[in-house]
This record gives sequence, C-alpha cells and structure tokens, in this order.
Amino acid sequence: MRAPCATMLLLLGICAVAQAEEAAPPPAEIDPGAVAEQGEFGPAIMIEDISVIGGGSTRRELILRALPFAIGDVLSAGDPRLRRARFKVLALGFFRDVEMSMRRGSRRGRVIVEILLEERGTVVLNRFWFGSSTIAPWWFGVDLSERNLLGSGISVGGGVVYASHDRVANSDDQWAAELRLGVPAIGGSRWSSFGSLTRLSGSEAYQVAGPSNDTSPEDYRAFRYDRTTARGGASYDVAALARLSVAARAELVDAELPLTPTRTLDDGRVISTDLHLKDGRSRVVSATLSFDRDTRPDLALPTSGSRLTLSAELSGRALGSSYDFVALRARYERWWPLSSAGAIGLRLGGGAILGRAPRFDLLDVTDLNRMLAPRALGLLISLSSPLNLLRTASDKPTLGEAGGAASAEYTYRLFGKSSRRIYGGALFVSAGLWGLSEAAFPKIRDRGIWSSLPIDLFIDAGLRVDTDIGVFEFSLANTLGRVPR
Amino acid sequence: MSADRADRADRAAARRARTSPLAALAALAALCLAGDARADDEPELVRMRFFERGTQLLISTSLTKLFDGAAYDRLDSGFASTLVIRAWISPSGSGDPISFQLVRRRVVYNLWDEVYELELDEPSGRRTVKVKYKAEALKLLTSIDGLPVAPLAKIPYVRHHVLAMIVELNPVSQETLAQVRRWLSEGTGGGLDRGGSFFGSFVSVFVNLRVPEADRVLRLRSQPFYRPEPKR
Repeated sequence: MRAPCATMLLLLGICAVAQAEEAAPPPAEIDPGAVAEQGEFGPAIMIEDISVIGGGSTRRELILRALPFAIGDVLSAGDPRLRRARFKVLALGFFRDVEMSMRRGSRRGRVIVEILLEERGTVVLNRFWFGSSTIAPWWFGVDLSERNLLGSGISVGGGVVYASHDRVANSDDQWAAELRLGVPAIGGSRWSSFGSLTRLSGSEAYQVAGPSNDTSPEDYRAFRYDRTTARGGASYDVAALARLSVAARAELVDAELPLTPTRTLDDGRVISTDLHLKDGRSRVVSATLSFDRDTRPDLALPTSGSRLTLSAELSGRALGSSYDFVALRARYERWWPLSSAGAIGLRLGGGAILGRAPRFDLLDVTDLNRMLAPRALGLLISLSSPLNLLRTASDKPTLGEAGGAASAEYTYRLFGKSSRRIYGGALFVSAGLWGLSEAAFPKIRDRGIWSSLPIDLFIDAGLRVDTDIGVFEFSLANTLGRVPR
Repeated sequence: MSADRADRADRAAARRARTSPLAALAALAALCLAGDARADDEPELVRMRFFERGTQLLISTSLTKLFDGAAYDRLDSGFASTLVIRAWISPSGSGDPISFQLVRRRVVYNLWDEVYELELDEPSGRRTVKVKYKAEALKLLTSIDGLPVAPLAKIPYVRHHVLAMIVELNPVSQETLAQVRRWLSEGTGGGLDRGGSFFGSFVSVFVNLRVPEADRVLRLRSQPFYRPEPKR
C-alpha cells in the first residue's frame, strides 16, 4: 500500500515542482489584442477600390457590406478598422481563410484593397440524434444547414428525426421535420430575421401504473398527437456582444387524448393524470422577448467570459391562443481560467411557467438533468428516470412548472490545435444540482422534508473535441442518454 | 552576469534527475497526465543577456523566430503588423512576478513613399522610424537591445530569477474573438428544440471556424540569473 502512496506523492510533488518552475503568467487584466488594436498610425490613404478574388458564388456586395470601411473612405494605413476587416469577412462563415493586401491606386495616396478568399463548404451538420430506449428501440435524426444559399448569405436549414415504437400501448412510430430560414445582418444592418416551420407526428407516453422511477413499457400508455408550428422573429444587436430578439409562434396541436387518463399507485389508489393538453384541436399563439449577452471568446471550449440569457414568452386568449401562460426562463454561466490549461465554470439556469401551458412548453426534466436523453425536435424518445443519488423524493416529476439547475464544471485542455480540422480537446468534470416542481411545494407531506424534495444531483465527465465541423462530446451523460435503462 | 553559475545549477539539477530512475518514471507519468496540455505552451529556453544601467535591469535578445516566411512577406502588404511583447521576472521556483513590462511595436508599408514606417512604444517613450528595406524593418521589430525590464531595487542580490516573455504577432483582442465566435454561432433560428437548447450547456456552432488568438506566438524563458553582491 505504501508504494502506490509514495508514487502518488512523488507524482504530486513533481507536478507541484513543475508548476512552481513555470513562470507565472503576466497580469491577467492585460489583453495583448486590445493593446495591439489601440490607436491609428501610418500614412493617410483613400480606398479607391476593393478587389475581391476567389469568392466563388458569394456575391461581391455581401463581402463589401461586411467590411467596416467602404470605397471612398479616407483613413490611416494603421487604422484598426483595416485589421478588423479580415475578421468581419471570416465571420461570414463562408471562407476558410481571408488574406488582405493593398496596392497602389490611380493617384498618390489612393490604394486598392485586395481581398483573397479561400472558400469552404457551407453545408454544416448541426445535430445528430441517435440512440435506443425502452419506448423507442431506435431513433435517428440529422439536422443540416446551408449557410450561404446560392451565394446570397441567406441560411437555410432543416432537420428530420424518426423514432420507432415498442410495447407501450397505443404508441406508434414518431417523426418530426423542421425547416428554418435565416437572414443575418439584413442589408449590413444590426437587424437579422429568422423563421421556421416544424411538423411533428408524435406518440407521447404517460405513466398509468407503477412507481415513478419505473420505465417498464407495460406501465405506460401513449396518446397520439400532431403539431404544426410556425415561428418567425427578428433580432437586433444592441451591442457588439448583446442581442435582443422578438419572436412570434403560431402552433396547431391535434391530440387524441384518453377520456379519463389515470394512474394506479403502488398502494392501489387510482388518481387522475393531468396531460396538460386539450383534447382535439387547440392552438398556441405566443410572443417572446429575449436578451442574450455572450462575452465568452471561445464558445466551444470556454475558459473565460460569461453568458446571460433571459427570455419571456406570453401566450393568451387575447392573441388567439387556447392556452393562457407566461414562460420565464433565465440562464447564466461564467468561466474563470485557473492555469494555462485549466478553467472552472459556473452555470445557473431556471424557469417558471405561470398559468396553464401545454405539456410541450412545461419544463422538462431532460432540460435540467444532463444524464437523461433530451427530446429530439420535440419528440419524447426516452422514459429514463433520473437517478436518485441524494435519496430525496423518489417520485420526482418529469414535467414541471418551476425548476432549475446549478452546476460547476472543471475543464482541462488536453491538446491544442493538432491539425487544420481539429482545434483542440478538453477533459471535463461537472456536477450540479437540479430541481423540478409540478406546483408549489406541498404543505402536507407523509415523508420528511428531505425525502420530499424534488431535487437531485447530476454528474458528468468526458472529453470534448472541437473540430471544424462542430463540437463532439464523449461523456458519461451523453452515453447514459443513448442507451436503454 | 551570472550565466556560468546558473549553468552549473542547471547541470546539477539535470544530474540529480538522471540519478533516480523512479523519479524519471514518475516524471514520465506526470508528463502523460499533465504535460500534453502545455506542450504547445511550453516556453522555449533562450539565452538572454542581462545587464544593469543606472537603476534598471536591462536585457538584450532577438525575436526573429517569431516571423516565418508568410509573416515576413506580409510586412509589405500595406496592412499594419503589430508585435506585443509581455515580459515579466519572477524568482526562480516561485510563481509571483516582481516586475512586468509591456512593449508594442508596429510597422506599416507606405505604398507611395516605398518606406516602412515603424512606431516603437517602449518604456523610454515612443519612437517613429522610417526605413527603406524590409530586412531593416524586421530587425527593428525583433531586436531587443537594452530593454529595461525591472527596477534594480526590486531584485534582491544573490537570489536566482527567471525572465519569461510572450511575444505575439498581430494578437486579436478578446472582444474581437468573442464577436467573431458569436457571428459564427447559430441562433435558435426559431426552431422547436427549445428546452435542451435553452438550458443546455452547448451552443451549436454553425460554422466552427477557429480564429487564432494571434498570427504567431513565441513563448520564451531565460536562463536563471542573479545579481551578485557588490564588492566592498
């Protein structure tokens, strides 16, 4: 026993020595990029023309609109706008690389800016759904986008998911399809717009017998429904890193609900079940206002910065909706670098649904607990119940009107850019608390307060790899969400 | 000033490391566990010249390795190139810097006058220089010749210190990086996948283009040095 301990101590000692020998980082408050971007210098120049080389099908106007200067502008050769121009063009997302240079114009002081573009594919794989559960022996789906439709800068995307069904009574195969359209920076302004059309043919399982953590298909029954949803909205960049959005939703729901849905408890009592949906045809019409501020320099493997998102959705009869409700959601995350490779992050998120919202708008346990498979394009594909790690309430709800999660995550960058397509990888470990409540906490209980609390723990650990086609995550929670249990 | 003694100390440390196979094995394991992450951040040991002038400690070294062929070619593109040098001194074996120095150097090629215009911001003040040839501009950008790095009063006698330096060519500000990543990230697009995407830890990156934090980065570490006690 002593030898392993000694080896461990020795390892820790070496790590400590290695840390101590490493010179401390320079003051964190100094951003060398900000230092580099300060102030103008160099000779005054006038932009006589802008020449675009290698843009392929992308319209020249689209690139000119993205630039922070225009033909005819007079500025100094060291103006920060000239440097930012490269990033503005890169940020269109249509090019793998952008090189910029100048050559003499027709008269002294005039220059022609040359922009050399290296095109990249703009068809992107956004999401990939697959897995198996006790209610869906397999599900599979894919979501793709074309960011630069016919060189116009308009993005078009869509996804399709198909899930097979198993032994749950009255269940059927499910499918969902979505088509999206987005127009970023309309006319080079701060406005962008988006819209989508979604169609679901679902079969939603609900429990009719057995304890809450039971996932036997025999104890569930399903009802069929169709949803057709149209969404549209606009966003305005109120600041460089902050965005305000307004959106409208019109949704038709056609559900075949059982006449009197009930559930038989363990003690033989039969209680009615609220499916949070109107039988037959109903409508959801809502308006949403949201705000998002994101200062994280790296979205895929963040190590610094923060993100705040607030959203309020209002639906009511005055708008023509069959449901009266307000949905409030908020989330905040912040990251602190701990060393050259390590960082710690804190995430808080929560929401409250006031009024009578349809079940698809309630908070879902899979939104809060990463160890469960989330809905795929809105389809319920798994019944996995959350692990009762804290020995709190065993009958935690799967849908609720108030809930939230708080977690901390430690990440350790394992490798940096190793090729043109792989940007980096990080190990991560996270743990957090989540809670979800159907309504106000009950005042009358037949158990102790701890064993009545609808809260629990979630943990996750794994590897994230940042690549040029997206972020791939290999983690404990991701695996748990894709296998039957 | 103390390079020989420092070399001897380094060699002695290296001998000690060689004498213990267990330590070597443990070091290998430690490297496997923790070393990978810093492989690309590991500072390169560079011999620097330290000397005293007045009340300041000064250094001389060269940073030509910062420029590769492409970066050198870009000097006459008409667009400005900027070097930001961060240098700090800490006692050997300690993580607390006792001094910090920031230097910015910029160059832009004047297409009409056919000269390189340099702006050198250093502790002694700002200098503007014009030179005819690219090689001269490169030399002015990358030579560190008598750069004050710390007041002598901050460096105690006899104790070993190390100077570390990060040199970046055209670094990008954190704000610009955040903006680029944001422009590239996917909005919800009005889609239905509200729950997971709202509370989830992930944003789907629409076009996952990674913008490097600088065109080129050089991380340097000096040999250990110390100030000998003055002779009485």
